[in-house]
Amino acid sequence: MKLALLALRNLARNRRRTAISLAVVATGTAALLLTAGFMAFSFEGLSEAMIHGGLGHLEIALGSASAGRTATLERSPAEGLDDWEVVQRQVEALPGVLAASPTVHVAGMVSTASGTSAAFLGVAGDPARERRMGFSVKLRQGDPVPDAPPREGEDRVMIAQGLAQALGVGPGSRVTLLAVDLEGMLNALDVTVAGLITTGVQELDTRYLRLSLGSAQRLLGTTRVSNLLVTLDRTSRTEEALASVRSVLAGHQPPLAVVPWTERAPFYAQVEALYVGIFWFLGTIVFALVVLATSNTLTMTVMERFRELGTLRALGTSVWQVAGLIGLEAVWLGLIGGVVGDVLGAGLIGLLNAIGITMPPPPGAVDPIELRVVFVPEAFGGAILLMLTVLALAAVAPVLRVARLRIVDALTHT
Amino acid sequence: MTAPPVFDARGLSKRFHMGQATVEALRGVDLQVSAGEVLVVAGPSGSGKSTLLHLLGTLDEPDAGALTIDGTPASSMGEAERTAFRRIRLGFVFQTFNLLPVLSAQENVELPLWLAGVSSGERRRRAHEALAEVGLGARRGHRPDQLSGGERQRVAIARALVHRPLAVLADEPTGNLDSGTAAEVMELLMSLNRAHGTVFVIATHDAALIARAPRRVALHDGRVASDERKASA
Repeated sequence: MKLALLALRNLARNRRRTAISLAVVATGTAALLLTAGFMAFSFEGLSEAMIHGGLGHLEIALGSASAGRTATLERSPAEGLDDWEVVQRQVEALPGVLAASPTVHVAGMVSTASGTSAAFLGVAGDPARERRMGFSVKLRQGDPVPDAPPREGEDRVMIAQGLAQALGVGPGSRVTLLAVDLEGMLNALDVTVAGLITTGVQELDTRYLRLSLGSAQRLLGTTRVSNLLVTLDRTSRTEEALASVRSVLAGHQPPLAVVPWTERAPFYAQVEALYVGIFWFLGTIVFALVVLATSNTLTMTVMERFRELGTLRALGTSVWQVAGLIGLEAVWLGLIGGVVGDVLGAGLIGLLNAIGITMPPPPGAVDPIELRVVFVPEAFGGAILLMLTVLALAAVAPVLRVARLRIVDALTHT
Repeated sequence: MTAPPVFDARGLSKRFHMGQATVEALRGVDLQVSAGEVLVVAGPSGSGKSTLLHLLGTLDEPDAGALTIDGTPASSMGEAERTAFRRIRLGFVFQTFNLLPVLSAQENVELPLWLAGVSSGERRRRAHEALAEVGLGARRGHRPDQLSGGERQRVAIARALVHRPLAVLADEPTGNLDSGTAAEVMELLMSLNRAHGTVFVIATHDAALIARAPRRVALHDGRVASDERKASA
């Protein structure tokens, strides 16, 4: 006979009450798993969207240009890389690197023949490499910019829908880009609208356009690029790749800065902090509910079994063995409830993913998202440990009550 | 040289406070119980029978007086020592049987042995023997709710004796039994006393049980009103 076995049998005495307590613990566990899984999905989705939406895993730029700067579309090649093709070859030779793509950022005015004009933020890149890197351009109408460098007079751009709407242009329209080149002179470039795109962010769609690297360099009168964006085969390799790229470029003059995407994405950190805050808030509510519900159950258990506990003490059971019996009943509730909650949570996660719920676009976004809940293995063990902690806490008051029990009072309790 | 009494109570007093009122449950009780004795403590409700048993069983402490059990002053024992003393040297039988409902008869009887750290094989053997001795060898797998009142009290008696205690303290052991079953239980207690020499101190107001007792101590208002021994005892 073991105390743990006795505690388990005691749980079976009032099956309905035990079932309710287990349901509370299991529901709390499942709720935590779903929240953790949804958070993981959100973090994963947001990080991959940002990385493959143009951020890359790493950015290589001049050290003087990158200090203290986050992701921006206004990084002029004035402080850019001259020998970027050499750097590109060095970096692309490293394991895990999918590609290192040059980008040129250009800001200026875009105007139409009818005289309508608007400010623009343009990004130029290497379309073939960007495809390899998984950068996604959401083309809504028309064609993408060709992979091959454009000949003079054949420059083409993709304009975001909001900007195209403001200008009243569509695929095939001719527009003029005006920008200040690196010499400080105003330069103009006539281009054809190849297609309409969206960035997924409403505000950015009113100013954004994409063009080929050659077109942007022609407009700015330079062969430099603003930076190189490096994409890896897996996001989890970021730290490892960061170290190896830094090592390879350590002797470069002028010094280069290699910055991971996390340092260039304050928005991601803000969202992460917000979600973690929500998780703790929900977790605290679940914690409090489970503590209150199970503490009540355990207290009732002690009250109803005063005489029995007194008998155990009379027979020579130590006060801590009797208190331990109540504690073990709490542990069993936490363990069984936690395991049932894990199974319930896994089932619900599978069900939600199988149903495929489509959620409306998040604030500021354009496209709806499909809800997915990720299996977070650590959360399954963590939730059980948390429930054991919760039940241990819930058992404190009943255990103290047992510890203060007077045997003769307990034996005469009715 | 005469062996010291198993219980030697001198001037035991116990008070209870109930709101503003103070109840004198025991008022200077002197009592000596020798090895192998069967002693019935009789008296009406509120005379102090249960309180005396609680003090003799180290379940409670007197407000005044001294109690020595088998040569050891009870007042010298701390809480842990009293618990260990009860575990090893004493057995208890209660009016309402007080068996653990989730344990079988066999497991209930094994309980004191388990608390004393006896190995599982030895526990099983001794519990089986104790149950056979009270006539319940065939019912050892049954839980208390599957047993009659008399059978439950037999299990409780087996539990009280299985670890071969110095003394068994029984508080109204026949209080919840019909007269026939009560007589059987009393007979069982007497035969176990003869077989093992265990001291039995039985608090009761069951006239039939009192009449059969070799020694009768009557309490009245917390005092010993009489202490009689049967001539044949």
